[in-house]
Amino acid sequence: MSDGKVQFRKVSVPPHRYTPLKKAWMEIYTPVYEQMKIDIRMNLKARKVELKTRVDTPDISNLQKCADFVHAFMMGFDVIDAVALLRMDELYVDSFEIKDVKTLKGEHKSRAIGRLSGKGGKTKFSIENATKTRIVLADEKIHILGSFRNIKIARDALCSLILGAPPGKVNSKLRQVTARSAELF
Amino acid sequence: MGRPSEAAGMEALHQLKSTEPPQWLAPSASLSESARAASQHLFASLRPHVRKSPFDELLVDNFDAEQIWQQIDLLTQPLVRSIRRRVKHWEKNPAEIENLLPEVADGGKKVAQGKKMEEIDDDDDDDGGDMDMDDDDDDDDEEMDVDNDGEQDGGKDEGDESEEEEEEKSGGIEDKFLKIKELQEHLEDEEARHYGLDAKNKKSKKKSGSKKLEDEDDDSEEGEEDKEEDDDEDEEVDLFAGGDDEDEEDEMGNARYEDFFGKKKGGSEPKPRFKDELGEDSSSGEEEKEEELSSDDDDDEEEDDDENVNKKPKVLSTHEKEVQKIKSEIEKMEKANLDPKTWTMQGEVTAANRPKNSALEVDLDFEHNVRPVPVITEEVTQSLEEIIKKRIIEGQFDDIKRAPGLPSKAPRELKPVDENKSNKGLAEVYEEEFVQQTDPAAAPLSFSDEQKKEASTLFKKLCLKLDALSHFHFAPKPIIEDMSIQSNVPALAMEEIAPVAVSDAAMLAPEEVFSGKGNVKAEVELTQTERKRRRAKKKRKFKAVETKKMASKKAREDELRKQKEAAGNGEEQ
Repeated sequence: MSDGKVQFRKVSVPPHRYTPLKKAWMEIYTPVYEQMKIDIRMNLKARKVELKTRVDTPDISNLQKCADFVHAFMMGFDVIDAVALLRMDELYVDSFEIKDVKTLKGEHKSRAIGRLSGKGGKTKFSIENATKTRIVLADEKIHILGSFRNIKIARDALCSLILGAPPGKVNSKLRQVTARSAELF
Repeated sequence: MGRPSEAAGMEALHQLKSTEPPQWLAPSASLSESARAASQHLFASLRPHVRKSPFDELLVDNFDAEQIWQQIDLLTQPLVRSIRRRVKHWEKNPAEIENLLPEVADGGKKVAQGKKMEEIDDDDDDDGGDMDMDDDDDDDDEEMDVDNDGEQDGGKDEGDESEEEEEEKSGGIEDKFLKIKELQEHLEDEEARHYGLDAKNKKSKKKSGSKKLEDEDDDSEEGEEDKEEDDDEDEEVDLFAGGDDEDEEDEMGNARYEDFFGKKKGGSEPKPRFKDELGEDSSSGEEEKEEELSSDDDDDEEEDDDENVNKKPKVLSTHEKEVQKIKSEIEKMEKANLDPKTWTMQGEVTAANRPKNSALEVDLDFEHNVRPVPVITEEVTQSLEEIIKKRIIEGQFDDIKRAPGLPSKAPRELKPVDENKSNKGLAEVYEEEFVQQTDPAAAPLSFSDEQKKEASTLFKKLCLKLDALSHFHFAPKPIIEDMSIQSNVPALAMEEIAPVAVSDAAMLAPEEVFSGKGNVKAEVELTQTERKRRRAKKKRKFKAVETKKMASKKAREDELRKQKEAAGNGEEQ
């Protein structure tokens, strides 16, 4: 508690995440309330999740973390993956749109999205596994959750896919990169 | 030691003369005997002429050849000297010869004298020759080994006789004044006096054989080169000894007035001139010796052959000759140095400075910086083609191979990227990563480790199966303790795979089959008491079982009765 005041955060819930929120509410609630010591409630009318610090909140950054956590869930990440935000400091969420990379219209855009995910999502999963990130493809928007370096690698891979690289090439590049990054440690 | 008669001695001589030359090659006792007899005879005939001699007769019995020779030597040396003196004396005063021979008739005095003189001369010559021969042989024998003294005497006799025949054929020029043979010998003696042994050598060479050793020995003190030269020339000349003789005789035949009395000037020069001519004819290289013509004759008269070394004061000594040689060489070299050098010895020579086409004649040596163009012949091309074919067949092209890089680090394990949705949450992924970084041991097995484990288990299974296929090297299964029922069936039945060898051993070991304890005896081995015991035991057992049965049966029956009673009682009431 930084200056004695109670602080609030409000995270709006998009309609497509409403039902999943309902289902996963307890999983969200428990770590926030128990471990982070942040009050959390759902404002059904406003369709927002409200967070408030308590008296015994150890650190004001907890509030921000919880807000990020909830926000990540709203973006589309799983609770399990989003919980990593609570546990680790260095994880970030990066978002960009397809049109940021390349202006695509109509079928090209659709094809690009298809390229990104791959058949049964295998390209997306391969990127996720190779770079230790989590990716959410929401039509035009792409969200990446992970550490800074990994986000970068994943973003490069995704951008190359958007730009038209075949998945095989992307895979091989990913492999090289991950092997190199693994050697560094 | 009886002195043999003269007849015997003559006979011995004749015998020696008549023997064939090949017979002399092998030593034979008879020839030796006759030789000794002949020597004795000759010795005896000569003995009276010598005034003082230690030996009255030649002692030959059991005496060595050397010893006999020494005796002869002792006798003949003074004799030779005296005879020579006498001969010279007679040469100067021929009239005295007539006095020597009183039996000569007056009528044929001249002829007879001439003949006699011839004979005497011949005899004298023979004797002189003999004496000369003896002297020469004395010198010879110092080097040469002669087994038989008489051999040489015999040989000499033969030689003398042959020469006599030769001389009689000489021609019609001779008369009482001019006897060519006499003249020859006189001249040769003169030469010998002036020039040393050469004339005598010639003479003796005509008769016997080589005198080389003698000459070399005698002239060792003098300039050897001279003598050798002369010897060579003499030898050369003496090879044609017969021809020389004839040449000289021809020249004698062509003698003219001028030769004797000069060109109407005086008579003092004929002899030197003649000697010049002879000198030139006989030995061409003896120019030095013409200088010695003016030397004194008297000095040489008393010298023996052995001392001819001291006769030439004007001949240069060895050292002087060497000095002369060196001087001439030095002059030559100096001259060469002063002259302009040949063009090959000059430094840089352009074409203008040397004669035309002279470079072609000289072997020039310079470096070629260019490899010579290979001459392509059929063989070269064939060899090349063969090499090519061979290489093609082998497949050994000299391709450049990439040099293998040094493996500095372990090859990365490329784990294939999983294309499925990962089961772990992101947090767990990072958790694992963190743990691996901090504490590698505690980290859960990585993907590769699991794979390794799987691979190792698979391989073990495979190995097991393969081992089972090799029967007697069978490695048994790892013992996993679990119960298995072993039935006592022969092994043949259990094996499925076609066995190379079959064993019909029972599965169970004997101790497993056997159920019993103690010392088991076979039926036949049992004694009476044991049989009885066995029967008693059996009976007891049986009885025990029976009683038990009975008891149980009774108990059951009792129960049944009781139940029945109970039931009956129940019904009654």
